[in-house]
Formats: sequence, C-alpha cells, structure tokens
Amino acid sequence: MFRNLSLIFLLGLLGCAEDNSSLGPGQSSNTGVGGSLARFTIVGNFLYTVDNSRLHTFDISNPAQPQARESIEVGQGVETIFPLNGLLFLGTQSGMLIYQLLPGGKPQFLSRYEHIVSCDPVVANAQFAYVTLRVSGCRQAVAGAADLLEIIDISNIQQPTIVASYDLESPYGLGLDGETLFVCLGVAGLKVFNVSDPQNLQQLAFLDDINAVDVIPLNGLLLVIGPDSILQYDYSDLNDIRKISEIPIGA
Amino acid sequence: MKPISFLLLLTLSLLGQGCVREKVEIPAQVAGLAPVYFEGDWKAVQSEPPRPIGRLYKLYYKDGYIFAGESQQGIHIIDNSNPSMPEKVGFIRIIGNSDIAIRGNVLYANNLTDLLALDISEIANVRVLSRVENAFPGLAGGSLPEDYVGFFECPDPNMGVVIGWSEQIIREPQCWQ
Repeated sequence: MFRNLSLIFLLGLLGCAEDNSSLGPGQSSNTGVGGSLARFTIVGNFLYTVDNSRLHTFDISNPAQPQARESIEVGQGVETIFPLNGLLFLGTQSGMLIYQLLPGGKPQFLSRYEHIVSCDPVVANAQFAYVTLRVSGCRQAVAGAADLLEIIDISNIQQPTIVASYDLESPYGLGLDGETLFVCLGVAGLKVFNVSDPQNLQQLAFLDDINAVDVIPLNGLLLVIGPDSILQYDYSDLNDIRKISEIPIGA
Repeated sequence: MKPISFLLLLTLSLLGQGCVREKVEIPAQVAGLAPVYFEGDWKAVQSEPPRPIGRLYKLYYKDGYIFAGESQQGIHIIDNSNPSMPEKVGFIRIIGNSDIAIRGNVLYANNLTDLLALDISEIANVRVLSRVENAFPGLAGGSLPEDYVGFFECPDPNMGVVIGWSEQIIREPQCWQ
C-alpha cells in the first residue's frame, strides 16, 4: 500500500514537471533565441515548426530522438512562429493565429486576428502583440494597401483587438525587449521605438543606412541581419545606439 | 468595420487581385522560395572549416555563439563572445537547410525534407543523432509546393538538378505563382 502511494506521488511529481516545462517560456536559459522570421521554436519538451500551411509538433523529451507528433493544417501562407507563455503566435499572410499549448504539448487553436493579406511576422508580450504588415513585395497583397505596424491587445487572448496602427515603409522582421521595439525596414533601414504608450509610439532611433531584414535583441546587444551583412549594435543606452561590429556577406 | 468601408475594401481587394495577376510589381528584395540544386547524397551532414558567408537568411543565438543560416547550404558558426570581434569558427554542411533551433548541445535543423537532431558539443565534429525522414514533405522535388503563393527564384537549368526548395531572401524575383 505504502509503495503504491509513493508511486502515485512520484507519478504526480512527474506530471507536474512535464506540465511546467511544456508551458514554460520558449527561451529558457538552455534554449537559444531566434529572430521574428523563425519557423522553428522550442517550448518545454517540444519543437514546433511551421511550413507553408502546417504546424508540426515534435516531442524532444529525449533530445537525441525527436518524435513526430501532430501535424495540423493551419491555413495557407504561414510564415513565422513566436512562443510566449504557453501560446504560439503564427504570422500568416492573412492574419495572426494564436494557439494554446495543452499539457502534453498539443497545440489547440484559440483565436485569430485577421488583417489585409500581407507578409507579417509577429512578436508579443503578455498584453500586446506587434505585427508588421508588408504589402510591398508581398505577392499576395492587395494593390494600394499600406505597409503598417499594428499593435493588437491580447490581454483577452480569446479576442485580440487592434489598438493602434502606424504607417511604416516596407517593414520586415521585428524584435521586442521590454518597452523597446526594433522594426526592420529592409533597404530603408531600422527604426527603434518606445512602445510604453501604444497610442503614441516614440521613435528613439532610425538607422537609415543599413539593409535590415530581421533582428534579435539580447539585453543590450542587437543582432541585425540583412542580405549584405550581420551587424551588431550596443543599445544599452537607447539615446546612443552604437554599431560595434559588422560581418560582411557575399563575395 | 463600417459596412461602407468593408464594401470599399472588398471592391479594392477584388480589383487588386485582378491587377496583381496581370501586372506584378517586382520587389527589390523579398522572402521567397529558391531552388536547391544538388547532385549526390543530400543527406551527408558534416563539420567543415569556416568559409565566407554567401547568401544569408536567418540568425540564431545561443551562449555567445551566432548560428547564421546560409540558405540551402548549412550553418556558419560564429564565436561572438566578444561582439566587437565576432569570429567565424566553423560551418555545418546541411543541404536544403532553412531553419534551426537549439537546446543544450542538440541542434534541430531541417535537411531539405528531413528533421535532424545534431550533437554540436564539438563544433569541429558534429554528429547526427537521429533523423526524422520526410518530416516536411512539401519542399521536395523539382516543382514548387502546389499551395505555395509567392515569389520564387526562377530555376536555372545550368545550375543542375533541383532537388527541392528552401526559403531565402531573393532579389528582384522574376518568377511567381
């Protein structure tokens, strides 16, 4: 009897551990960090990947032997995946899809924010999601539509609601560090905003002499990727963002 | 949304779609699919010495290292322990690669249509731990996935056999579907 009880207790513990890890943040100290254009992400004991129209789940509880689990159809034009607090945000050409990760790692559709057809990665914090909509050079997009940064209130995760939108020239990838948002504008450069008031973004910096496609903010160090170079900036002082190195790309 | 603006948007979108089919604005640069040319064993994965970065698409960062994906070819490994002097220290050849994620010493990457788990504890001697075959079937073969909508790099018959497609930033693409 006692043995059985302790076994149950043990199983209970294991169950808890698994729940915690599967709902934990995507960027644990042991997991790396990708940019906003990433299509692979690790949350807990699962690797999630998106391709054109599907969201794939792989169980990596044995890290050396990933096991294919669900592969679900999520609609056409899936471009990016971003994990936060047990949720997955998918950037697709017709909107932002939010999936909840159930205990056991299975993604379940939760809600959707639809917008004009465009190309659009997404980053988020607990209250807001930031989505760039780029119609220029986006094959699917409607002619005449604008390039935008949209801020979507996700505090009610079942019902994402737009709170503000800003015109931006050809936005690509973006990155968020606290209240600082970095938005890549392709050949037009990179803009840095303070987003503490979503209705009134403050532009902190505009690096207009680079070609920026995606960023990874790392607590004061910004990695910028463009087709021409890998640039690194020190943004520990947001009033004085300094380039610290550049790795050229191409022959 | 007000009914009028909805109608307007609908009309615009219908008009727009009509226009887009006839006349496409070619972007200076855009994310799209590019053919993967290869002859031989595309499943061969190995560590190689550092080399110049050709066409880059994505970055991944972990523990002072930058993993820079060279579209279709593999991953450059850059020691970034001193961000003012990043240093290329190796290259992992993975044909048809477009994305990675890392936990611990295990790097997960697509090798064209397969998912790989790689032990990267020794960068100069990475080891394939396992392979999930055909995890991403949509990207194989000489023709584009049917449900793909977007720009792509026109295949060049002089470049060899197209074994599949992978994402990258393409400049002034002349092909789309």
